[in-house]
Amino acid sequence: MTIAVIGIGVASGLGHGKEAFGQGLFEAPNVFSHLKRDGREPPGGEAPFIGVEIPEPPALLPPRMARTASLCSRAAISVLDEAWNEAGLERVEPERIGLIVGGSNLMAREQAIALRDYSGRLAYVPPRHGHMFLDTDICGLCTATYPIRGFACSVGAASASGSVAIIQAMEAVRSGRVDVCIALGALQDLSAHDLQAMRAMGAMGSTRFAGSPADACRPMDADHDGFIYGEACAALVLCRADSVAGGKVYGEILGAGHVADGSRGPEPSSAGQVRAANLALAEAGLSVADIDTVNGHATGTPTGDDTELETYRTLGLEHARINATKSILGHGLSAAGAVEVAAVLIQIEQGRLHPNRNLATPLDPRFNWVGATPEAHAIRHALKFSFGFGGVDTALVIGAPGTGRRQR
Amino acid sequence: MNSEHIVGIIIAEIRETVPELAGQPIGRDDSMADLGVDSIERSEIILAAMEQLGLKIPMVQLHGPRNIGELADLLLTKSAG
Repeated sequence: MTIAVIGIGVASGLGHGKEAFGQGLFEAPNVFSHLKRDGREPPGGEAPFIGVEIPEPPALLPPRMARTASLCSRAAISVLDEAWNEAGLERVEPERIGLIVGGSNLMAREQAIALRDYSGRLAYVPPRHGHMFLDTDICGLCTATYPIRGFACSVGAASASGSVAIIQAMEAVRSGRVDVCIALGALQDLSAHDLQAMRAMGAMGSTRFAGSPADACRPMDADHDGFIYGEACAALVLCRADSVAGGKVYGEILGAGHVADGSRGPEPSSAGQVRAANLALAEAGLSVADIDTVNGHATGTPTGDDTELETYRTLGLEHARINATKSILGHGLSAAGAVEVAAVLIQIEQGRLHPNRNLATPLDPRFNWVGATPEAHAIRHALKFSFGFGGVDTALVIGAPGTGRRQR
Repeated sequence: MNSEHIVGIIIAEIRETVPELAGQPIGRDDSMADLGVDSIERSEIILAAMEQLGLKIPMVQLHGPRNIGELADLLLTKSAG
């Protein structure tokens, strides 16, 4: 059964909404700078962390809810509202709508601030803190604000969470549990503790580009130095492709692969990545030769990029155009998979590929990288990778509208 | 310290917690539940008021008051004791 995407909502360093996203992806302005939010201060004497912070989400919640809604939750409401309205979900029976929020430990920064602020006066901790830092508070706020009554839950798969949310939403529609399922890649609100740990681990970019944040994020480039964090959030509305009644269709998810590769920590596995891609292709009924575009996981970590290139070689993707959305937005972690699938769908809609920022010296020049400017290209079948710490490998085959029906 | 002072603290906390009540007059004879303040919000308001008064009283000892004035009177008694 082919699944169609009929609504998109997105927030990123480019701003709130698809208009800012659709324009910014192709213009690729620099959105990187030193992180300034409370709770993201570097260790004493060290250079500030580099990344992307989104503008304040539009005020959609009633004030009494907004004041106890985390940044993650406010961003989720913003993207849900956009996707909901575009897909016309007010016409769908609430019991037939589901919501899957991708991500875990999402509100670490605000929870760290609460620990700091109440450390000497624990007796006065606001009762609301008993639920507002749960990842599922996003589910609660979303279902309290929009008539979603099928089910709502969160799923965790580290940096593949957004992709896994999409895969789980596909399953919920295919099984008949609901008619419409919203997959939401939640904003991962990193604390200074998280940032420092990931820098110490060698996954996040070091202080090498501390003086020039615009140059720090360079997936698949010889001067890459680790991933660079970028706040983001996206919601996608999924339904059966054969049940779409008129409205907008961005594209179809033709196949998905999601495997465990047996790693505990951040170490990637090309074998797992290849297996996920082959599962996705098999489900789509396609071969590698049918893939014309690859949207990489491509974080910019030295080991991650090398391993992913090995995957491209093993699969034989030398013919495909390749770009890395993280070069523009940074790494949204839990949100990345959903935001980058949205980027693929917007590229399908616009008939062009977004540039790769900072790809001055490709690690492997034999691949068909998109350059520093957008290029006209009608995507028919795209392969989208998302990987996560803990050995999570996922791949999605995304087709232009109608491709699923023509295949069968 | 008197009951009116405590009523003022409670009302300020109510307005902070439920901004939707801006413009609505609130007095000591009003009950928070009747104003539409939910139970978690009520606990939050009482805790915030206690912190300002330097009180640490288990919430279970604060059941009973039927309106803001009675709550203020009870907090005043506890702070005196």
